[in-house]
Amino acid sequence: MSFFASKNTKFRTQGLRFHSVGLMTGLVLLILLPALVQSNNYILQVFTHALLLANLALAWNILGVSGSISLGHAAFFGAGAYCSAVLSLEYGFSPWFTIPLAGLLAAGLGLIMDLICLRLRGAYFALATLAFVEIPRVITDNWDGLTHGSLGLVGVPGLPSLSLGTWVVDFSASITASYYFVFVYSLVLLGLVRFLFSSNLGLAFQAIREEEIAAEAVGIPANRYRLLSLLLSAYFTGVTGACYAHLVHYIEPGLVYGLHFSAIPMIFAICGGRFTILGPAMAALVIYPLDQFVFHPLLPAGHEFLYGVVLILTVLFLPAGFWGGLRKVS
Amino acid sequence: MWTTALVSGISLGSFYILIALGFALIFGVTRNFNLAHGELVVFAGYVSYWLWKVWAWPFVLTFPVAILATLLICLGLQRLFARLCEPLELNSIVLSFGMAILIQNTMLFWFSGDYRLIRIPTLSQGLHLPGFYLSYGQLTLLFLSLTVIAVLYILMYRTYLGKALRATIQDKGAAAQAGINVAVMGTLAFCLGAILIGLAGPLYGCIHYLYPSTGHEITLLAITITIFAGVGRLGGIILAGWILGLAESFAVILFGTSWREMVAAVLLLALLAFKPRGILGKGEQ
Repeated sequence: MSFFASKNTKFRTQGLRFHSVGLMTGLVLLILLPALVQSNNYILQVFTHALLLANLALAWNILGVSGSISLGHAAFFGAGAYCSAVLSLEYGFSPWFTIPLAGLLAAGLGLIMDLICLRLRGAYFALATLAFVEIPRVITDNWDGLTHGSLGLVGVPGLPSLSLGTWVVDFSASITASYYFVFVYSLVLLGLVRFLFSSNLGLAFQAIREEEIAAEAVGIPANRYRLLSLLLSAYFTGVTGACYAHLVHYIEPGLVYGLHFSAIPMIFAICGGRFTILGPAMAALVIYPLDQFVFHPLLPAGHEFLYGVVLILTVLFLPAGFWGGLRKVS
Repeated sequence: MWTTALVSGISLGSFYILIALGFALIFGVTRNFNLAHGELVVFAGYVSYWLWKVWAWPFVLTFPVAILATLLICLGLQRLFARLCEPLELNSIVLSFGMAILIQNTMLFWFSGDYRLIRIPTLSQGLHLPGFYLSYGQLTLLFLSLTVIAVLYILMYRTYLGKALRATIQDKGAAAQAGINVAVMGTLAFCLGAILIGLAGPLYGCIHYLYPSTGHEITLLAITITIFAGVGRLGGIILAGWILGLAESFAVILFGTSWREMVAAVLLLALLAFKPRGILGKGEQ
């Protein structure tokens, strides 16, 4: 790659300029969105959710970049959502305290997953994660005293208002505040992922993905690094799950541990480009609104076929994903 | 109570074997994990339900149509699988996962999310034998599953075709060198798998409510049994199916119905954690 890139420097910089102009436009649009749609609640709600899913995809990709495909991230999402919801609803802790705690619980679950799947690679790891979700789901379902079982938790408290001097952000008053909260979280996570991927750690993850034995040979402890990427991925998936619980105010095991939240981050990451930084988030911001604004009104039942079609087409024709493919062309 | 659990476990297990055989055959011969397996079983169940309920066909006659429908879909699926690039196993998981979502939503669109059951009155009656109770449904399940297993056993171990299929499962390259047309074997595996799915679907509709998202559970069962058995061992699949059926049946008695769903997952994970050698050996090829 680098060999060809140096030959085509001119095209490459042009392409990059084009990309960065597009990216800046997108960023500005996202910042101005609440003003542009004049606080149309539905549009803002969809984009808040899309940003939340973008975070899921980004978190999923921390593991994805080291070569593993997980079909079980709903385990972390659900555990995070339940941890934060139970602690704030039943014990009265502030969500600002319980959200990071939820991430830690999810990371603990990631540790258990790692102990079980430590030696599995590729397809077998994916299948094991698919089965893994059942364990926290059934436990949550049956722990009636704490989680109210399959009835779910109703009335999960929203995010408490923040005050900086005289400036108060009240999350219960408007969806705009929630939108910006998730947006800032996305930016932070994106910055973190970018830092991670360009650091030595990110290089180690990629080396493990490309050729594990060679990576071990140059002194990268593959298992430890793989565990680290799983823990980071689980932590942020758990945090995102907790945010979901406080934004939606209602959770039940079938929903938060459902196949939906395992499939969605994988689909976005693979369609956007598994080995890129921005790809997963961009796929979330394009595909989810497309689903909600176009396909949902057309096909109230079965509109999610879109995700299946997009995934099939990507695997068959664009294995590097859209953003990955675009980068390659330029 | 324990004998009833034993009988229902064996009968359920035999049905699980029927479900897993198609998945294991396709995986063994072509190395494609078909995560849409459960969705296809549910689809076959829906086809049968529709013919039986809306057009009032006799239940037995719905089997050929269900088989034909799954056959067409499976052949289409095989064309898609054939276009995948390496790593084949992982990409087949991603592709068939997309396929599962697609089929699930198509079913949601056509048949809605309502719970449906093929309710045949005679099947829910039964024999009160001394010590336990055996319903005609369980008896049918047991009989049909064992017949299919026997037929497949004869095909795999007593015919030349079966020999070729088993050779392909063991070593694709060597089989091709010995003059076996590996591509045809792949198509054949998909056809046999489709027939097994077409048989399992309507039966599933008799013992379990049909709704679009239930396919996931079936897929998990098929994966568990296949990995438990190791690739290409018919005997292993039979043993694994019965163990799983019995484990679920006793889990219901010991812990209650709500814990049943976890049995397959725990069994699979315990297997992967403590006895991964057989599986790993194949994963690292």
